[in-house]
Amino acid sequence: MTESLIRVRDLQVVRKGRPICSVAALDIAPGDRLLVQGGNGSGKTTLLRVLAGLERDYDGQCELCAREIRRVYVHQSPCMLRGTVLDNVTMGLRGNGHSRHDLRVHAGRLVEQVGLTSLLDRPARQLSGGEQRRVAIARALAASPELLLLDEPFADLDADGGDAVCCLLASRPEMAVVIAAPGDTPLEKDTRIHRLECSG
Amino acid sequence: MAFFLEGLTDAVQALLRLDPQVYAAAWRSVWVSSLALLLAGSVGVPVGIALARMSGPRARLLVIAIRASMALPTVFIGILCYGLFSRRGPLGPFDLLYTPWAIVIGELLLALPILIALTHGAIAALDPRVAETLTTLGVSRWQRCRTYVSEARRGIVVAVLSAYARCVTELGIAIIVGGNIKGRTRTLATATAMETGMGEFGRGLAMGLLLLLTALAISFAIGFLSREERT
Repeated sequence: MTESLIRVRDLQVVRKGRPICSVAALDIAPGDRLLVQGGNGSGKTTLLRVLAGLERDYDGQCELCAREIRRVYVHQSPCMLRGTVLDNVTMGLRGNGHSRHDLRVHAGRLVEQVGLTSLLDRPARQLSGGEQRRVAIARALAASPELLLLDEPFADLDADGGDAVCCLLASRPEMAVVIAAPGDTPLEKDTRIHRLECSG
Repeated sequence: MAFFLEGLTDAVQALLRLDPQVYAAAWRSVWVSSLALLLAGSVGVPVGIALARMSGPRARLLVIAIRASMALPTVFIGILCYGLFSRRGPLGPFDLLYTPWAIVIGELLLALPILIALTHGAIAALDPRVAETLTTLGVSRWQRCRTYVSEARRGIVVAVLSAYARCVTELGIAIIVGGNIKGRTRTLATATAMETGMGEFGRGLAMGLLLLLTALAISFAIGFLSREERT
């Protein structure tokens, strides 16, 4: 059996005396595809933030089973940084000894895979919501994560955009992907589903 | 009214004939304040950024103290510096009193809390997703700092120009530790006060007009550089 990347046991996040996310047990292994499903207020975003290490105030366990693992979280409403699409996509790669040409080639490949080739030199904040989401996913993948956490990634994508993102995720079988969504999403066949109930 | 108009005419004439006393004081004000700002900025902006990333009661207390020191009167800073630089003071052996360097250090102390507090405010007001995105992408500390400056650039520009405006127009520090020595430590503000006191209303007004122009130019620069980005 493959060793888990992250093991969650008896997790409970409480805010202002009210539990906002409860998970009894959850294991995520390399290459896993996991859909976290639940209605509004069920704690999907909170769970993803805990898994990403952005939320540290919780009861229970959320253990990394190996050394520090590269985990990238993409917000429900992604944040575009100042600059072009290229600047955004290469944000996690700069300062690692890559030349500008290498960065452009690498970013160009990812942007092409999400169907935005012609927008590489456009200011990222001028793009539509769906385009920004695709840029955010390309930016996350550029950092080569072992665990990718996507918060409602298909929320404002058209059919082509959704297909492009699915193909891109399918091309990284070694990477674990956790997606939070309120209902069904266009995912790969072997995707596990973890349902969250409203804790309040 | 005639006195005022006569003074204004003298002031414009002094400016147009490039009166060496007026422009020497103006040039000294510019380089002393610019150097003070450069030194204060190289410390104040990084400290402001670091402070914005800190949390807890100590950090909050520090921010309150720094904000309070933004309102320090320039004469108070001047007296403090006088105590430090005077012959019997701890920095007396360096012989800094009544030199432009003493004014630079005094203005540095004046600019520092303004830069720290306004940079802190600009970074703290950023969308929290910026910091989270940088954290999750695993960017280096240097890249993170650069991105914060880029995202909060309007607020940081306002901080720099506000500090500059305060330095270039201040009187208390320049007169107490500079001594208003002709050709050595005379700045626009000290020269304006002296010329007016000596009855040279026209020349005093000319220097006052230069100060006003400097303040207006800074104000326009703040307005231009802090305008909203068109998207």
